Amino acid sequence: MKSKATRLIVIAVLAIICIALLRFRPWNYVATGSSADIIHEGGNKKATRELTIGFLPVTCHLTCPVTDFASKNTQTSTNFNSRLFSDFPTVVSAMEAKQIQASFMIVPLAIKLREQGVPVKICYLGHRDGSEIVVAKKSSVRTLRDLKGKKVALPSFFSNQNFVINKLMEDYGMKPDDITFIILPPPDMPTSLAAGAIDAYFVGEPFCAKAELDGTGRILYYSRDIWPNFISCALVVHEDLIKSNPDVVKDLVNGIAASGLWAETHRAEAAKLVAPYFHQDEKVLNYVLTSYPERVKYVGLNPTDEDLKGIEEMGIKLGYLKKQIPIDELVDRSFIPKTITPAAISVAAIPGSQ
Amino acid sequence: MASFNAEETLASVKKKQAATYKGNRWRVFVLPVIVFFIIILIWYCLVHFNIFPSYAMPSPGAVVKSFREDIMSGNLLNDMVASLWRVAVGFILSAVLGIPVGLWLGQHITARQAFLPLLNFARFLSPLAWIPFAILWFHIGDKPAVFLIFMATFFPLALAVMSAVATIPAIYFRVAKDYNYKGFELITKVTFPAVLPQIITALRVSYGISWIVIVAAEMVGCQDGLGYGIWEARNGLRLDSAACYMIVIGLLGMGIDRFLLQFSKIPKVRWGYER
Repeated sequence: MKSKATRLIVIAVLAIICIALLRFRPWNYVATGSSADIIHEGGNKKATRELTIGFLPVTCHLTCPVTDFASKNTQTSTNFNSRLFSDFPTVVSAMEAKQIQASFMIVPLAIKLREQGVPVKICYLGHRDGSEIVVAKKSSVRTLRDLKGKKVALPSFFSNQNFVINKLMEDYGMKPDDITFIILPPPDMPTSLAAGAIDAYFVGEPFCAKAELDGTGRILYYSRDIWPNFISCALVVHEDLIKSNPDVVKDLVNGIAASGLWAETHRAEAAKLVAPYFHQDEKVLNYVLTSYPERVKYVGLNPTDEDLKGIEEMGIKLGYLKKQIPIDELVDRSFIPKTITPAAISVAAIPGSQ
Repeated sequence: MASFNAEETLASVKKKQAATYKGNRWRVFVLPVIVFFIIILIWYCLVHFNIFPSYAMPSPGAVVKSFREDIMSGNLLNDMVASLWRVAVGFILSAVLGIPVGLWLGQHITARQAFLPLLNFARFLSPLAWIPFAILWFHIGDKPAVFLIFMATFFPLALAVMSAVATIPAIYFRVAKDYNYKGFELITKVTFPAVLPQIITALRVSYGISWIVIVAAEMVGCQDGLGYGIWEARNGLRLDSAACYMIVIGLLGMGIDRFLLQFSKIPKVRWGYER
């Protein structure tokens, strides 16, 4: 009578113990404890410190995994780990809890965080351009005016895409409620457009290229046509890290600048390199990076007063931001290198290349 | 003669019963397999004849391929372990707290009157409504998911145990009084055994809830787990991988439920199901 109950309970307990062991892998801690000096196993064993940076799988954040890869394969004194997130609220939460101290983030959200008293600073940009307004391939829309009374999807109200499209509407003499804006997760945008649930969307790559490659969408506007040198995301660093470990931040900004310069000239290789980090199809990324070099740029990443003031003013006008924050409180440009040399990534080291 | 006949009839009935039972066992395996293949066939046809475009429905072949990829990369195992661990912790936590609370509320009518509205109120709050707070309070990692599972399962479990205790026939307690059982002894010798069958059923139901909640909970505030896997597949525009995760979630859920079902076959509690 008792045996069956006991047997079942023993099985359950053993299963849970196995799961716990697999989850926490205590043997890993034992193994790394003895060799604490070497931080990573890549080609470069000289790194003495490390930092984790958050990113989302969008091409605006491409320099993040490239920097991760470069720090393991070239001579740098800091090892960078990129940590994949799937949405910005989680990034913000991780940043507030200081589980990560640096991340790529949409600029208006960073300004909002600063406004709410979270001590973060924009230290560098991650890209220029790289966002498009996409409409259905067969739609008759030719200009923004044709979208009057239609539904347009945006990734977030705190995205620069939202600000920029509102600026364009203003330029066209349209009223703010002429277009209905809907917030959608970027991955759902191409399919929603194909299904006819929305009439257009404005988001970062590769979610625009996806609709183009599927044959369901076409580009109405490139972001740079509306707002030259458009930025959607920037490198945001917690002030505590800036104070406690400025050398690491310096390495990080330098690494991103170097990775950007490398990616600018090694576009196909960059697509191959980041595909596993993004868990995305290399084909789509390759198309974004190589089809038209102007589509997204990874040079000129110095955030100018003009860039940020423009975003702030538009945000205040639209009511998403409350007050003008002085630019020097928002940005820390002291880590930006004077001369940038491309990251010395050997193409042969990229997994999957011959 | 008559008795001989009766015996013979009885034997033949038993034989027949055994035969139907054997047939049933055979059917229990074969019929689901047939259904399975029909569904795969329909799926294949839907994709093959382009009834759904490929971006809206991955083909079975693509799913098998991504299944292989996910296993090879170790992601799938890692995500399975993460989800199972969170469910185990959340579920055990809510069982350890929910069952005693239910027993206590069931036996004390004043407490029941005081707490019942609160329990009912909390029961109807979708655990997903707690997500923003879960992330604010517990940040990211295992804790918010465990918290959500706890919130989703604690209240239904406590309520089920409470109502089970409240419906124990009064005669049990009268007999217990004759034996002079009081306090702890009363709970372990009368109340708990009397409600054990219902507790096991309630545990199975709340396990079902927690397995559903974990997938939704992991879509925010997590860095691994099966729900995160689906979310990530979606971000990566990989519906084939999402479908592969869905299959794994269904199979694991079913398997664990089969295991929990075994508890209701323990001789000590079987009476509760055979009324």
